[in-house]
Amino acid sequence: MEATMAKALNLALRDSLAADPGTLIFGEDVGALGGVFRITDGLQKEFGDERVFDTPLAESAIIGVAVGLALRGFRPVPEIQFDGFIYPAFEQIVSHVAKYRNRSGIALPITIRVPFGGNIGAVEHHSESPEAYFAHTAGLKVVAPSTPGDAYGLLREAIADDDPVVFFEPKARYYLKDEIDQSTRVPIGKARVRREGTGATVIGYGPTVLTALQAAEAASKDDRSLEVIDLRSLSPLDMDTVMASVAKTHRAIVVHEAPVFCGFGAEVAACISHDAFDLLEAPVQRVGGLNTPYPPSRFEKLYLPDVDRILEAVDLVLAYG
Amino acid sequence: MADVVQVMSAEDPVRRLFTQDGTLTDDARTSLGLDREALRDLYRRMVVIRRADQEALNLQRQGQLGLWGQFLGQEAVHVGATLALRESDWIFPSYREFGMAMCRGVDPAEMLTLFRGHTHGAWDPKRYHFAPLAIPVATQVPHAVGFAMGCRLKQTDEAVLVTFGDGATSEGDWHEAMNFAGVFRSPVVFLCQNNFWAISVPLTRQTAGSIAERAEGYGFPGLRIDGNDILGVFAATRAAAERARRGDGPYLIEAVTYRMGAHTSSDDPTRYRQASEVEAWSRKDPIVRYGTWLKSKDLLDEKFENAVRQEADRVAIEMREKLARAVMPPAGDAMYGHVYERPSEPFLRERREFEASLEES
Amino acid sequence: MADQTFNLPDLGEGLTEAQLMSWRVDEGARVEVNEPLCDVETAKAVVVIPSPFAGVIRKLHAKPGESVDVGAPLVTIESAQGPGEQSPDTLVGYGPGRGPESGIRRRPRTSAPAETATSDVRAAPFVRQLAKERGVDLAAVQGTGPGGRITRADVEAATTGPPQAEPVAALQAAAEPGVRRVSVVGLRKAIARQMVRSVSTIPQFTEFAIFDASALVEARARAKAIGRSATPLAYFVRAVAASVRAYPMLNSSWDEKTDEIVIKPEVNLGIAVNTEKGLLVPVLRKADSLDLAGIAQKSARLIEGARAGSLSPADMTGGTITLTNVGASGPVETGTPIINPPECCVVGFGAIKPRAMVVGGEVVARPGAWISISVDHRIVDGAMATEFLTDLVGRLEKIDD
Repeated sequence: MEATMAKALNLALRDSLAADPGTLIFGEDVGALGGVFRITDGLQKEFGDERVFDTPLAESAIIGVAVGLALRGFRPVPEIQFDGFIYPAFEQIVSHVAKYRNRSGIALPITIRVPFGGNIGAVEHHSESPEAYFAHTAGLKVVAPSTPGDAYGLLREAIADDDPVVFFEPKARYYLKDEIDQSTRVPIGKARVRREGTGATVIGYGPTVLTALQAAEAASKDDRSLEVIDLRSLSPLDMDTVMASVAKTHRAIVVHEAPVFCGFGAEVAACISHDAFDLLEAPVQRVGGLNTPYPPSRFEKLYLPDVDRILEAVDLVLAYG
Repeated sequence: MADVVQVMSAEDPVRRLFTQDGTLTDDARTSLGLDREALRDLYRRMVVIRRADQEALNLQRQGQLGLWGQFLGQEAVHVGATLALRESDWIFPSYREFGMAMCRGVDPAEMLTLFRGHTHGAWDPKRYHFAPLAIPVATQVPHAVGFAMGCRLKQTDEAVLVTFGDGATSEGDWHEAMNFAGVFRSPVVFLCQNNFWAISVPLTRQTAGSIAERAEGYGFPGLRIDGNDILGVFAATRAAAERARRGDGPYLIEAVTYRMGAHTSSDDPTRYRQASEVEAWSRKDPIVRYGTWLKSKDLLDEKFENAVRQEADRVAIEMREKLARAVMPPAGDAMYGHVYERPSEPFLRERREFEASLEES
Repeated sequence: MADQTFNLPDLGEGLTEAQLMSWRVDEGARVEVNEPLCDVETAKAVVVIPSPFAGVIRKLHAKPGESVDVGAPLVTIESAQGPGEQSPDTLVGYGPGRGPESGIRRRPRTSAPAETATSDVRAAPFVRQLAKERGVDLAAVQGTGPGGRITRADVEAATTGPPQAEPVAALQAAAEPGVRRVSVVGLRKAIARQMVRSVSTIPQFTEFAIFDASALVEARARAKAIGRSATPLAYFVRAVAASVRAYPMLNSSWDEKTDEIVIKPEVNLGIAVNTEKGLLVPVLRKADSLDLAGIAQKSARLIEGARAGSLSPADMTGGTITLTNVGASGPVETGTPIINPPECCVVGFGAIKPRAMVVGGEVVARPGAWISISVDHRIVDGAMATEFLTDLVGRLEKIDD
């Protein structure tokens, strides 16, 4: 069936609630309202207010009680309403969600859903890309889908996973429509080649995959053949897929909305230069947000990576002959 | 508004056991339902955990432990609260609750391997219903509340106890968790061990108000009690836990006690507090006080005291010897073995590379 | 009884020393486990150190007021306890190599990495690897990439000999039963890259023609009669060189950096040669300035050299157009050759054999062969390609010497 990513996520939550009575969904406004992006729409009505419930407005406790609920045998799926509001919960995520199993042997099957990224004309704190903080933390798995189908399959897999997963939803792509297949799960830790090409590899995740595909389409009109990889999973990182592509193209560009400095692209670039030093014909390029706080919305087009900035990076890597 | 008033005006089954100043009433003290052996057992356990605590400090001074945080002076809370619960009730400690862990049956030598640097978690929480240490202050409080929310969802009659110090009541997590517990009427007992010091910072710098009375703002009762009176701690905890089991929601107990020792073996309390203050509190020593009371009831004689002392020494010596024999887990397992339930291939690859880089020295 | 020496432990999270303030015991005195030995002051606190052993004090290793390093001997006690009964090893401060706590370590580095010669050469890792494979000294190469960087094309242009063809190793892929995977190295890899570069960067089209080789066959017969044998290839080369002279656009390349057409002054004609190691393209320089005998002689030397692997770098680089033969034997008539980048054109000849041709309204058997040309459409359109091919056919059909 065809569905928006928002609907795909809603279906994944619904199917997860139906599949496992231990699944609980909670957070701010996820109940009667159905979430500020309607991702939990209708779930409280269908599954009751004990399994889908609003909490007080306190992100640290939302994640902290998720730890306790997981210890009690539940499969919590807390929602953090916006990327920029996850920071109060940072300690619970990094010190406990990530490390609890390491100190106790008890796995915490928690999936933390976080809408992330910009391009929606929002006020401050509603457009951030904090994924690198979490990918940096051992004990967590971090994923970010780019299509409705992957959103469904990855969320089902994340909730079913016995390890904690931070699930970043590209909010600018919530209304992207595509075919979804409810019988498909997407394994965590597997990237996907979204477009084949030979000239250079463009690597994205979440919202930047579509941008990369648009750039590849534009480049093809200039007879430039770009391969586009959707990482889908940041931790664990599927370097095998990236390497297979770089072995073919000898050039790589990583694209994300987060600032480039210490962004996830730095990890990808470092891995490529480590694993494929002899294959590179040009330095790995990073295209991302500027090293400034996320700007006021009227400036966000200047901040975010777009087709032109990707093509500039393509020009650069191809200029190396 | 009506709901709130109703909750607050409901009879408080804990408060009625205590006088205005937090002392267990004589009536309550004599109607605890504890027989002679149970009353003597409370004493025995306090002596044993104090001896183990001292031995652990000795071991640190002798280079056998990297660090030790004494609970000297807080034994009444450790023993009284733990024994007031059912064994199936989970306890969420902070990082100074080894007396509680011992009361739950955790092997003290195994516990010490944590402070010897072998592991971050030295017991199976599910076996003892005793959560791992939570070293970042107050972070365990929302865990306990979540666990209690889960108990309520499963409609069990479990109660959950979470304990923390006075310093923790300044943390956001504490307030957030108290609030959640009130909103969800979770079966959780908040046990504050107000020992007056958060490392070097006195209680007066943590709060200008009452800890116990804060509960009211979150929609449930709280009570300040004498934390050096083991029977008072026992009675309050048991009553609060029973109330929680009945579905009447959370309770905050502020047990007033004193940290007689340093914050940890790396700390020097003479830099920030007066010897006279410590001296004054030593006259309220929970073991001495309870011993005096037991003697007044003819429940404690020299023979029993000697037997208890010998048992305590034996526990300490066994702990020392067992610790000396403690074998470190293999490095690969200690470092990589417990991070993920389903580790990824890149993670396992790194583990293999790490293990291949090791050699016997 | 054995002497046990108690070394000063780290008393508080990373301390390195402590000052001995006073002893609470004397040498010769008897102590029990945990009996206070001394008071020491660390950077953090004054602490009492309890004895880890029971026994008689043999030696106090420091005097009050002295500073003792963590790990240095503090006291020696004659004790009945064997090492097995008590752990004499303190947790920290002793370094590796003692006791059960330190039974494992990271393998020490066994050799220092070799000093790497530094140079000012700027080239990407892949380009350096390529230069290494081909024996090209990068210091002698003029880079044409950004900031003077040496590019893959620069290395290819400077290749100092036939690419080192390495043995092709066959690997059995365990995961795909029955499937053979052949690892690609050396020349095969170089050909693959060159061909990928061609089809992925050059929009090319191909045109075909058949020419009447009667004149060529007769010319060969005449030459043979006077003892000057020439292969058909020599005639082809001469004709192509002459046609390229007439249509210089075919002797050019497209500069992607500047979007310019670069027309070459000389016709350096690459001749595709099938060798045991793979396809090589030695270059016949200034083919347009050679006579038939010169062409015959030089091309023979190049072909031989390619097969023997004995060509010089100049013989292998700098081509401006390539000649290849398609179907020299067997039933194959022609094919679509792929341009050898950065050239503009490749010309393929088929075998000369008797063909049915219509001459003066009659079907007659005449020797003939296919010609195919592939050209860079960025530079040359169909009309010019047709003109060029027509010119070439005309020259081949009018050979008179």
